[in-house]
Amino acid sequence: MKKIVVPGELVTEQRKRTGDHVFVHNGQIYSDTVGITNNESTTASVVPLKGIYIPKQGDILIGLVVNELFSGFLVDVNSFSLSYMSKDRIREPLKRGSIVSVRVSKTNELNEADVSDARVFYGGEVFAVSPVKVPRIIGKNGSMLDILRKGTNCNFIVGRNGRIWAKGGNVPLLIKAIKKIEAEAHTSNLTNKMAEFLSKQRNII
Amino acid sequence: MQKDVLLELNAEKVLNNLKEGKRNNGRKVDEYRKITIEKDLYKNAEGCAKVKLGDTEVIAGVKFSLGTPYPDSPKQGTISVGAELIPLASPFFETGPPSMESIELARVVDRGIRESKAVDFEKLCITEGEQVLIGFIDMYAINFDGNLFDASAIAAISALNEAKLPKIENDKIVEKEYSGKLKLKRKPLLSTFAKIGNVLVVDPDLMEETAMQARFSVATTEDNFVSAFQKGLSGAIKKEDVDNAIDTAFKTSKEIRKNI
Amino acid sequence: MTKEEKKIYVNKKGLRLDGRAVDESRPITIKAGVLKNAKGSCYLEWGQNKVLVSVQGPREALPKHIANPFKAIVKFTYRMAAFSVPDRKNPRPGRRDIEISKVCGEALEKSIFLEKYPNTQIEIWAQILDSNAGSRAAALTAASVALADAGIPMKDLVTSVAVGRIDGKIVLDLNKEEEDAPDAVDMPIAMMSNSKEIVLLQMDGLFSKKEWEEAYEVAVKGIEKIKQLQINALKEQFKLEEKEEKKTKTETKEKSVESAKETKTEKKEDKKELKDNKELSKAEAEVQ
Repeated sequence: MKKIVVPGELVTEQRKRTGDHVFVHNGQIYSDTVGITNNESTTASVVPLKGIYIPKQGDILIGLVVNELFSGFLVDVNSFSLSYMSKDRIREPLKRGSIVSVRVSKTNELNEADVSDARVFYGGEVFAVSPVKVPRIIGKNGSMLDILRKGTNCNFIVGRNGRIWAKGGNVPLLIKAIKKIEAEAHTSNLTNKMAEFLSKQRNII
Repeated sequence: MQKDVLLELNAEKVLNNLKEGKRNNGRKVDEYRKITIEKDLYKNAEGCAKVKLGDTEVIAGVKFSLGTPYPDSPKQGTISVGAELIPLASPFFETGPPSMESIELARVVDRGIRESKAVDFEKLCITEGEQVLIGFIDMYAINFDGNLFDASAIAAISALNEAKLPKIENDKIVEKEYSGKLKLKRKPLLSTFAKIGNVLVVDPDLMEETAMQARFSVATTEDNFVSAFQKGLSGAIKKEDVDNAIDTAFKTSKEIRKNI
Repeated sequence: MTKEEKKIYVNKKGLRLDGRAVDESRPITIKAGVLKNAKGSCYLEWGQNKVLVSVQGPREALPKHIANPFKAIVKFTYRMAAFSVPDRKNPRPGRRDIEISKVCGEALEKSIFLEKYPNTQIEIWAQILDSNAGSRAAALTAASVALADAGIPMKDLVTSVAVGRIDGKIVLDLNKEEEDAPDAVDMPIAMMSNSKEIVLLQMDGLFSKKEWEEAYEVAVKGIEKIKQLQINALKEQFKLEEKEEKKTKTETKEKSVESAKETKTEKKEDKKELKDNKELSKAEAEVQ
């Protein structure tokens, strides 16, 4: 059974393995954030409904090039600080304002990230959602992404940092749909609901 | 700082769209966003108003204090307008002393009201040469999505329109007692335009403000007078821009005034 | 004659000037997530008090010399709007504003897992729009909700209230009239109610130790009730959707039988589309 919890709220009295966004106090497990917990799960964890993006190695992000340095670039990835990207192995022309997808290559204990493997996007639109909602927008095995692609014919990439680049197809509808997922991320059966929503919208058009 | 780059990118789009005659959210060049005005929310204020202009939100409150008149105008009270761009409204607004932007904003709103003689300063006189009322109008930006000028001006004049004059007894203000409403002689409103490329658009939203090279505000009254001009930013405007602005301002302000 | 009459702050029935019981707080309404440009926000009304709180960050702590490489720092700013008090307040922050900002920031620091965000700062702005005693308790209570709304990890919410004594009786949540009473005592207190840790405690007046103990008990009970309001405000943003859910569940059950038949044929088309998309993106990359 899923339930919404807030910081300091008891997640379970049972002795379970602890996952994300919980802490143990006096043998009991509490939530540290506003999120959803499932007491049928074997691990006590909370999926946050609010939060900021913390860079993790391997994540694909959508970034904006903010500055060019002598040996690299500074990229805004919507996190605590700008990420550094070395000029080594960059083949594409980059400048301030370039939209790129990048991979997090390294992080440190200050949550600073180095990024690499830049791929430039031309044209299209960039918009942002709460980073904690990204897993919902992707769905299990990309199921939600499929529904979104089919329903809007857009070419789009969702960064783990909550930034999304989209081009072609019906971008306004894609933005509307993704904002809807963001607002209803805590509800169940969302994949079906979104499929329905998109087919209705297409029939209107 | 981080949003800056994203906004700059979108600002380029604004410029390109305008070249094709398209504006954000399908607005026309002389069309305002939706305006709502809420009154009477804060009980300690003598008058107050909360204005939403699209997503831009400003709260203005009026407080009267006793003061002495200037020697050259012994029968006149006065107004004083202040503005604060608090961090609540935008990640770009910083804590600290009033910024240049907030001071310019306050002075332009003040000019529009003061020069139009909206408030009869003689009505604020308690004892000639000795005691007058000073009407303080303090404006706070609560959410910033472009065009704080017009939103603030609407909030300020709405708050003044609602304002109750305090009761004075024995040279002191009696708390929670009033001696009638401050009746405004005019209701001036600001109309602000953004010059983007060669196009002049009224009521710029945040994206349009990021794209604009120059900003032009004009305060107009219901009897078709202009009571303030303010050109802002480092771009340039031409005479036709001012002419167009005045014409548009007379028109749009008439509509907005109906809600006050 | 009437002006000289002594005010009866607590009458024989145990009711105060505004009709409240001694352990009753003024009505409180709390709404989270109200500001579009803030990471987290909260609007709170407490009696006549009205406060709007925003949370920005955690973001890079600047200037660099104030950054702490082991944890986030908290910057709390408490400000009163010029029109929020009976006598217009000068917008420039006074010593009272600065002291309140300090103690409120320190109160919240204990509740946040600051080590999760080294080198950053969390900025909290509490703007008082209308006031009538107890504005700092209102600001702190709202700020805790705003922090949770921003998704900042915390051990517990911080809940605040002012307790005091008027006319010899210990009361919860004094209003301005009561604060101005002769020999009134005003004690703002804030706690993380799970652990009963006190994170803010101030006092103005003359108190005996016994009165302090009694006041503490009244505060704890008051705080439990107010905390529930904080929790409700945070959960409320998601409640409406849950109700809709129950409605649509029955609808979708019927529809899902139909769509199950459809999806089989759609799956084939899907595969083709995925291929198309991949080729599209390849083609696009080549064109550029």
